[in-house]
This record gives sequence, structure tokens and C-alpha cells, in this order.
Amino acid sequence: MLLDYDRLGWLRVALVGFTAAVAAFLLLPVVFIVLLSFGSSRWLAFPPPGWTLKWYQQLLADPTWIDAALTSARIAAMAAILAVIIGLFASFSLVRGEFRGRQVLRGLLLTPMVLPVVVFAIAIYAFFLRIGLAGTTLGFVIAHTILALPFAIIPITAALEGFDKSIEDAAIVCGASPLQARLRITLPSIRIGIFSAVIFSFLASWDEVVVAIFMASPTLQTLPVKIWGSLRADLSPVVAAASSLLVGLTLCLMIVTALLRRKLSR
Amino acid sequence: MQGSSFRRSSVAGLPAGSGSALPALLLVGLFFIVPVVALLLRSITDPEPGLQNYAALFGSGTYVRVFLNTFLVAGVVTAVTILVAFPVAWMLAIMPPAMGSIVFGIIILSMWTNLLTRTYAWMVLLQRTGVINRALMGLGIIHAPLPLINNLAGVTIGMVYIMLPFMVLPLVGTLRAIDPMTLRAAALCGASPFEAFRRILLPLSLPGIAAGGLMVFVMSLGYFVTPALLGGTSNMMLAEMIAQTVQSLLNWGLGSAAAFVLLVVTMALYAIQLRLVGARRTGGGI
Repeated sequence: MLLDYDRLGWLRVALVGFTAAVAAFLLLPVVFIVLLSFGSSRWLAFPPPGWTLKWYQQLLADPTWIDAALTSARIAAMAAILAVIIGLFASFSLVRGEFRGRQVLRGLLLTPMVLPVVVFAIAIYAFFLRIGLAGTTLGFVIAHTILALPFAIIPITAALEGFDKSIEDAAIVCGASPLQARLRITLPSIRIGIFSAVIFSFLASWDEVVVAIFMASPTLQTLPVKIWGSLRADLSPVVAAASSLLVGLTLCLMIVTALLRRKLSR
Repeated sequence: MQGSSFRRSSVAGLPAGSGSALPALLLVGLFFIVPVVALLLRSITDPEPGLQNYAALFGSGTYVRVFLNTFLVAGVVTAVTILVAFPVAWMLAIMPPAMGSIVFGIIILSMWTNLLTRTYAWMVLLQRTGVINRALMGLGIIHAPLPLINNLAGVTIGMVYIMLPFMVLPLVGTLRAIDPMTLRAAALCGASPFEAFRRILLPLSLPGIAAGGLMVFVMSLGYFVTPALLGGTSNMMLAEMIAQTVQSLLNWGLGSAAAFVLLVVTMALYAIQLRLVGARRTGGGI
């Protein structure tokens, strides 16, 4: 009866208790950092001696934090757009193409997700040093597009595999050009896959640290690089404020995703 | 109906349907394959042609210790992650959906939260004067602060935290695919719950555990951020060593050689994992 929730008996109490404890463990750091960001202690004492907004004021008054956030947003937006467009084309070929080596091609395009990032980071850094792209926005965007590509290809190919191609063919029989059929029939049908691809490839770039640490220059740094630098220097509560804003952003993204998915799947 | 643009691409001398993958192939070829191959070549040419970088890597006690430590940490993290993830996945597979969706929500929230944010939280929580030490001392369990950071304990806690979702989510799928009837049959035949667990549930979920465990192990081997921030200087891991060798010591030859070793180990384990997942898929059809 181990797979019947209602007949587990005493075991259920133990297992549900354990699951609740693990859920608390997963939630603890997220909640803790948000509480801490409002605490008045410079030394991150907990529970804090008082509550304050001064870390947020310091954060918003510091142009380097704002700059880093804007840089991150800009790079992530460009990388996500590129990854989704290139990934969309590649997905058509991976799902519908009839050629030998299709599986090899799929494996190749997904490799950047599997290879340890640090290996790619020093490889692309060395390469960009040689061709003069290190420390440039273009270099950042290219490197992040490669890392984001698998996150675009996986949801799009999954959606495309679930789409019945004969509907597209029917549109062509009815007089649509192949391009029209794709744009007006196929793309709207796989919109949930495309939407997931946009979110995931944006996050892949927005949260990326390792390549960014190598690629950053004194004049060009992303938010994770800025946080990384602050963490290595000290554990200032300003980082807690920045982190809490990121947690808020994550929550918004989760809610928007859930709502949009519900709306799109109707 | 094959009247789409695929046919046109085959006219251009390309295999049918491969044309639209060209931009992706160019991007990955030029900015992924070329740089990685160039890096690997560098490991046998920098500063001069030969295998001296690999000799230095495997001949030095310091670097060998980094390798051993990397495997030790990845092994411990994988084992702890499996032990913690299994009961959670088990419950999620059979819980009433309303309860389960709360737990799923928490898992997704922690997974999507910025990696540095999560690591920062653990840095603060695990400090000598951090909440965990204070709570344990307040409860009278310990009398002096435990060293929870800059050592194996810190890395393990932080890494298990990050790896848990990657183990729980696929395991839920494995467990849901098991037919509850098999366990009912075991009970009818007189098996005790423990026996049913050991001889039915565990063996049936083993492919999922192996595939997930291997993925966690591979990811842990090459992890950079969390070990670098929560670990100590005495138990550095491979990824941090590679970054440091290149960034601070500017020893590209040695760093490339270490990167090559990491690449080979990762890819070999990944190939095994792919076979396991493949085997599970075909096995699931029975």
C-alpha cells in the first residue's frame, strides 16, 4: 500500500512531516533574506534590533547598482530574443527535418547546457581576448545566447512535437503559402512553448555568473557580477536588499507565467 | 505534402530540413566548438608543445588533492540529495494535488531564485554568529559555535539546497509511473511494508534515482559559485581552481589542461546518463 496515500498509516505522518521540513528548508533562505533586508543591523544580526528601509535607500542611491541591473536587463533581453529566434528555426529542423545526424545535431546544440560553465567561460574569454570582443556588450550577448539556446530549443521542440503538422499542410492546400501557414497557423499553436522559451532563456542570461565574471570590465558589469563582487568584499545588507528585489521579481515572474499559461492554453 | 521550404534547402545541396538549423549551427560552431577546441589545443601547446601541463597536473599533490576533493564533495552532495529527495518525491507523487501544488510552488520558487541570492543567504545563515549557530546554542544543543562555513559542511548544505529540485522533479515522474497495483499485490501476498519497499518500490524507482543522481553528480563536479563562496581554501574544487589558475595566475596551459580533464569526465558521465534515461524510456513501455 506504499503508493496509496490514504492507506499509508503511521508512515504517512512521518513522510508528510519530512516533506514539510524539506519545504521549510527550501523556503528558509528566501524568506530569511527578505526579512534581513529590512533589519537595521549592519552586522546582519537576527532577529534584527529594529526595522529600516535604509539598505534599499542606499541601493537605489548607488548608480553602480542601477547600472548593473540595466546592463543585465539589456543583455538578457537581447540574448533571449536571439536565442528564441535562432532556436525556433533550429527546432523546425530538429523536429521535421529528414536527414542523417539529426540526433547528433540536437545533442550538439544542447551541449552548452551540459558542459561545465567554467570550461566554456575560459574558452570564450580566451577567444574573445584574441578577436577583441572581451568586455564588450556584443561579446556578452553572443556568450549568453549560446548558453540560453538550449533553454529555447527544449520547450519549442517539445511544443512542435505535440503539434499536428497536417493542420499546417491543410492551410497550404487551402491556398496559404508555406510561410503564411507557419506564421498564422503553426506559430500561434506552439505559443506556450515559445513563451516558456522566452522566460527560460531570459533567466539563463539574467542569472548567469561564471561567464559574466570573466567577461566583465570595469565599465561593463552585470548584476550578478556586482553581487559577486560585494559578496567577496563583505556581506553588506545592501546585497540583502538587492537580493530581496530579485526574489520579488522571481515571484512576479512565477505569477505572470502561471496566469499567461492558463490564458494561452485556453 | 512536403511543399514547404524544406525541399528548397535540399536543392541548395543541403540535406532536407537541415537548412533552418544553420544559424544555430554557425553560432554554436563558431563561438562554442572553436573556442573549446582552441582551449584544449592550448593545454598541449602552451607554453611549449608537449604534455608538461598534464604532468604538472597529475604530478603535484596540490592538484591531485583538488581532484579528490571535487569527487568527494560531488559524491557526498549526490548521496545526501538522493536521501532527502526520495521521500519528498514519493509524497509528491501520491499526495492530494492541493497539498502537492504548495510544495511544488516552493520548489519552483527556490529553483528560480537567483543563485547568488540563495548562496548569500546560506553564507549569512551559516556564519559563526549566524542564526543556525545561535538557535542551536539557544536550545542548549551545542555550547560553542559549530564551524559550518568555509568547509565541507558548508558546501554540502549549500549544494544540496541547490541540487534538490533537480533530483525531486524527475523522481516524481518515475514514482508516478509505477503501478500502485504492484504494491497492493505485494501486500496481498503477505509482504510487510518494509519488504514491499525494499523489493518493489526501491527497485522500480532505481532507474530514476540513478539517472537523477548521475545528473546531480555531474553538475556538482563542475560547480563554481557555491563551492567558491561556501567552501574553504583548504578544500577547493576543480572549477574554482581552473578559474583561479587562468584569472589570477594567468597560467593558461595548466588551466586548459584541468578544463580538459573536467570536460572529459563530465561528458563520459553524461553519456552514461543518456543511456540510463534511454533505457528507462524503453523499459517504461513494458
